[in-house]
Amino acid sequence: MPKLKTKDKHIKKLAEIVKGPNSILYLKEDLLAYDCDGFTIHKHLPKAVVFPKDTEEVAAIVKYCDANNLPFLARGAGTGLSGGAIPLNGEVIISLVRMKRLISVDTENRRAVVEPGFVNLKLTNSISDRGYYYAPDPSSQYCCTIGGNVAENAGGAHCLKYGVTTNHILGLEVVLPNGEIIEISSDGIPDAPGYDLLGILTGSEGTLGIVTKITVRILKNPEEKQTVLAYFDKVSDGSHAVSDIISAGIVPAALEMMDKIAIEAVEAAAFPVGHPKDIEALLLIEVDGVSAGIDEQINQILEVCKRRNVREVKVAQDEQERGRWWANRKTGFGAMGAISPDYLVQDGVIPRSKLPEVLGRINQISEEFGLRIANIFHAGDGNLHPLVLFDAKKPGDTDKALKAGSACLKVCADVGGSITGEHGVGIEKKEEMRFIFSDEEIMAQTNVREVFNPNNLLNAGKLFPTPGRCIEMKSDVNEPLSS
Amino acid sequence: MLVEEAFLQLQEQFPDVEMKYGKTDNYLGNSGLVRVYPSSEQQISAILKYANENGKTVSVEGNGTKRGFGGLTETADILVSLSRYKGIVEHTVGDMTVTVKSGTVFRELQGFLAKYNQQVSLDPSWPEDATIGGVIASNDSGPKRLGYGSARDAVIGLRVVYPDGSIIRTGGKVVKNVAGYDTNKLFIGSMGTIGIITEITLKLRPSPKAESLSLLSFPDANLKEIHSFVVDLLDSMIEPISLELLNPKLSKNLTGTEQYTLVVGFEDVKSSVDYQINKLKDLKPQNSELNILQDEELRAFWDRLSCMIPNGKRVSSSNQTEACVKIGVKNLDVVQVIRESDLLQDSFNLKVSAHGGLGHGICQVNLLGAQEDVALAISRLREVVESYHGYLIAKHLSLALRHKIDVWGDKPTYFFLFEGIKKKIDPNRVLNEKRFVGGI
Amino acid sequence: MSVRQSDVMKEAPCTNQSLSNYLWDDAPDENKWADCVHCGMCLESCPTYEQTGQEQHSPRGRVHLIKSVAEGKLEVNEQFMDPVNQCLDCRACTTACPADVDVGGLIEEARGQIRQAMPLKGWKGRLSKFFLEDLFPHHNRLHTFGGVLKFYQKSGMQKLVRHTGLINVMPNHLVEMESIMPEVKVPVRQKFKDEKVIKAKKEEKGTVAFLTGCIMDVMFSDINESTINVLTHNGNNVTIPEQQTCCGALHVHAGDRKTGRKLAKQNIEAFKDADKVIVNAAGCGCMIKDYPELFREDPEWKEKAEEFSAKVEDVSKYLHDTGYEKPRSEINTRLTYHDACHLAHGQGIREEPRNILLDIPGVEMVHMPNADRCCGSAGIYNITNPEMAGAVLESKMQNVPDDVEMISMGNPGCMLQMAIGARKYGRNQKVVHTIQLLDWAYQKDAQSEQGRGDD
Repeated sequence: MPKLKTKDKHIKKLAEIVKGPNSILYLKEDLLAYDCDGFTIHKHLPKAVVFPKDTEEVAAIVKYCDANNLPFLARGAGTGLSGGAIPLNGEVIISLVRMKRLISVDTENRRAVVEPGFVNLKLTNSISDRGYYYAPDPSSQYCCTIGGNVAENAGGAHCLKYGVTTNHILGLEVVLPNGEIIEISSDGIPDAPGYDLLGILTGSEGTLGIVTKITVRILKNPEEKQTVLAYFDKVSDGSHAVSDIISAGIVPAALEMMDKIAIEAVEAAAFPVGHPKDIEALLLIEVDGVSAGIDEQINQILEVCKRRNVREVKVAQDEQERGRWWANRKTGFGAMGAISPDYLVQDGVIPRSKLPEVLGRINQISEEFGLRIANIFHAGDGNLHPLVLFDAKKPGDTDKALKAGSACLKVCADVGGSITGEHGVGIEKKEEMRFIFSDEEIMAQTNVREVFNPNNLLNAGKLFPTPGRCIEMKSDVNEPLSS
Repeated sequence: MLVEEAFLQLQEQFPDVEMKYGKTDNYLGNSGLVRVYPSSEQQISAILKYANENGKTVSVEGNGTKRGFGGLTETADILVSLSRYKGIVEHTVGDMTVTVKSGTVFRELQGFLAKYNQQVSLDPSWPEDATIGGVIASNDSGPKRLGYGSARDAVIGLRVVYPDGSIIRTGGKVVKNVAGYDTNKLFIGSMGTIGIITEITLKLRPSPKAESLSLLSFPDANLKEIHSFVVDLLDSMIEPISLELLNPKLSKNLTGTEQYTLVVGFEDVKSSVDYQINKLKDLKPQNSELNILQDEELRAFWDRLSCMIPNGKRVSSSNQTEACVKIGVKNLDVVQVIRESDLLQDSFNLKVSAHGGLGHGICQVNLLGAQEDVALAISRLREVVESYHGYLIAKHLSLALRHKIDVWGDKPTYFFLFEGIKKKIDPNRVLNEKRFVGGI
Repeated sequence: MSVRQSDVMKEAPCTNQSLSNYLWDDAPDENKWADCVHCGMCLESCPTYEQTGQEQHSPRGRVHLIKSVAEGKLEVNEQFMDPVNQCLDCRACTTACPADVDVGGLIEEARGQIRQAMPLKGWKGRLSKFFLEDLFPHHNRLHTFGGVLKFYQKSGMQKLVRHTGLINVMPNHLVEMESIMPEVKVPVRQKFKDEKVIKAKKEEKGTVAFLTGCIMDVMFSDINESTINVLTHNGNNVTIPEQQTCCGALHVHAGDRKTGRKLAKQNIEAFKDADKVIVNAAGCGCMIKDYPELFREDPEWKEKAEEFSAKVEDVSKYLHDTGYEKPRSEINTRLTYHDACHLAHGQGIREEPRNILLDIPGVEMVHMPNADRCCGSAGIYNITNPEMAGAVLESKMQNVPDDVEMISMGNPGCMLQMAIGARKYGRNQKVVHTIQLLDWAYQKDAQSEQGRGDD
């Protein structure tokens, strides 16, 4: 083992546990790359980053941390948008990216077993030649890991028809916060007797255990896919079209919407499609399934769009065109970089029927705070992504953006929705949990955490509001590193 | 304690709540000295709080269809029946969600939604009797789970009364939600051991525009052939919503043909359903027989299938022992499980009706015969299933047999987590005592 | 030493530019990192992240570090140098980035700072100096070097070195290189030195100037010949301006931006009179297209550079845009195509070369997964960072289909590296330049015409 440039006894011990080459980082220059994830407003350095190669090493690290009272957390690709992988307490980060094997594929029984560091899209790429795919497709699927998807219960554009990550997880191997390894439904057989631990672990944002092996459901590729792009002069027409499509009894595979500012960004960025700049909204609609029924549904969709005064509507002519439309949509968040130095993405969910009302109120918020807000969203399931554009270098802008983002979530909560549909609570929205849950309800959840994570060393300070603090929040978010 | 004394005590406490003397039932158990029929969430909360503070035990039921499912006690102090706590709370057509009180009978809920061309995509047993609360609490599912998923895929929010009387909401009213832990999941299939579900918010689907049912029977009873046919079918582009294998006995009851039979269901727009039937015709092995059901016939078939298992509400007069087990295995191992179940008939002199979903791995097996034989057959079947790494749960057994056969099987290695959850939520063990895994 | 948050804070009370730890001119450009929102879409595109799984070796990690130096949180030191120098400069992240962040540009600017803060030492330093300062900029020396290599190969020295075990004294990766060294022929700059204009063979379309490249012309002069043949075959007069020099890509990659600018100026002058400049080496083409970036602090030259780079075109794109004759003769081969980073990511040229190959009768193209993943050559990266280059090459070779006879591409550096790969992993694929195949087909056409003429 190369000589360590440290006297820290914990780091020396951890270096003994993770045996591969370059398996621990502890110098400031290296750690800096781990001071945040896809949520950059809050930063903090970890104590160390370790790169275990198997479950046993993860368990040994966890045991050591637990015994020595060292806070720790797991990290995948670090693409999370709510700060779930940020080492708030100077954690030891357990990076799972080297555990990236596809362990097995069983097409007959429609399941695959992967390690947590396996990248989402790679699963589909590995089985597509056999005609199968993995359904959850978060926009970051090019690089995000399935382990991270489990932690966040990741969604994606095609969740409207196929459900989110939790609907596709059949089994998990988990290292509990005391270092014990458990296997839940490792053969992927549903309804295992007992409380649904798969259900509670999925989406627990890395606070209940560290997932080290995942059995997922894989699906047969649909026989046919058709994709429609529709341009609207009025947002309200676009959102009514969304409702009409759903009311017509169609279950599209995806039903996405972008507003004018979002279109400006994607067109200025790396994957422009040539959308007209003067439309107020576009819909990207995909229908898939058995070929025989598709045309009928597409015709219905085209009719709905026309009834709602669509300016132009077209069906993708080939896979390339479809691919371009989706690349344009899926890189939408990053594209904000092209029109604004910083952005804050929110993730509210509303009942579909409230779409026009909520968009109006988000407009008001934008005016009130003097910040532009772009909207990219999964309109089909009411999952909004207001993107608050700001410039962190302008004094006070970050704070304003956070407040505007929070105000958007308040609107979602007030119409009976939720503060997050797929990005998770993390650090970002923990105070906003109070918009939708009472103290008692939050305690009911932290009680569950205590069962798994009694010492609260694993990813502490995430998901739940700080007890005893009221809504005057985020004052600590302008943390020292970036201020 | 005497029933009467208990009744008076409770009536004094809750003069507004309807209640009756309990009927002891030493056959299925899970009854109460006093049966109470709360009509509001506040009443449910108050009753639980009272029980929690006064060391009373509470058993919960909807309409009682699952009284034979788990539990080792004949009588709790109080039986809370939710059969009067029913009705739609909220239904927003455009949002495709519904919030319903847990005592609502499943069929009534579907009937209500059908008026809007919508449905809850679950097909549990005894829809005429079973309440939505019971379906969710016991995680009941039917053959269509292949196409539509199970309770955990449909439930988006709950209101739950905790044993201390507090009312906790889990999830929400929107179809996509990751705020906090997904605690909905804890209550689905929890057998009422950690709270009484009072309201359920469900994700809806549009009613199918067309449906059809293809019955494919295999006179040769060649299971290898069935297996490879199913592999081909699953590998083709068609998307059946059910792919259920029936053993000959069950097939005879339901279709008149005493052969292994595959039930292949399609639900979609008409053109798609027709197209898929044609594909199925192309794929089917030569010596198999295809019979297509539609409309009334189709509905009657599903109804009969959903009523094949014993109903705790309508205890049969038969002097034979009736039992039902739920088995989970890997999808295609279902073929072997159905065959093994069928073989039990001769080995143990039983009547066995078995079906299992080749796309999801859940089987249901009914056994009818002498008590001893039923017990032995279940043990034998459990061995077989465990050799496939699966599990067997007894969904319906007499109280006496439940004492002999472990309803849930062995405790898993992570049982301490179950215990921890139970202890956090119900430290005084008020609710549905010993109804669940490992005596929780 | 573990780091406490407070340590970092002390150094960085706020993000004032004056706190920047970049102490020299031409520091990394703030506007380039401002677009990075840390989304992570670049991670999987990065070969060094793929190998290490460590984010300081990822594009967004590097950008974060480069920014942190400007913010005064880090210094330009060895720990900072490592991730910055490990970058292959393959630009795959630029393709992946939704916001078009110019990571490559930032890296080169950061290397400029590193180079000045910490001049290279040891064998890497000597090697780098030899290639960058003493060899590439001087085409005479290069030709002499080529002559030496040729002598080395022809004289039996090569045999001798291989047989006597002298080869065992050379570092492993140099041995690998030695073993695949192409046979050195006469560079086109010598061959055509007396021809002011190489005349079009068919009806004239116009005149193009040809940038011969330094290594290309010595190691792969046959490719340069092929390029000239193909251009003249399709109606182009070709000139080879005398004063042209190395494009400077290797210098700029290595942080020697000063020399880079010097070479750039010389080339801008040399090609002043040309309307169109044709390049057949992706690395050179990409560098020249980036010349304006070198002069971002010098408006006068920046303008000239912009004018120049607008004239530069890769030969495959040029042929595709201006039209070319489809050969009639068959070249019966199964091949796969490797996207040179500086063609695909650097210049967005992906389909053009593939179309050219598919237009040759008899060519069957097999898809290579991750075709646009770097092969590890990256200029002289494979010499200075042999371990990483080797690991990257290994994963590249795993993607090369087994059943092909040739691997085609458009960059000499890749050709050398892929040839090493083919030999090292016991593959028998021949490594060819796209244009060579087209030339061969034309030659076959000519032969068969001649044959017919003889009848």
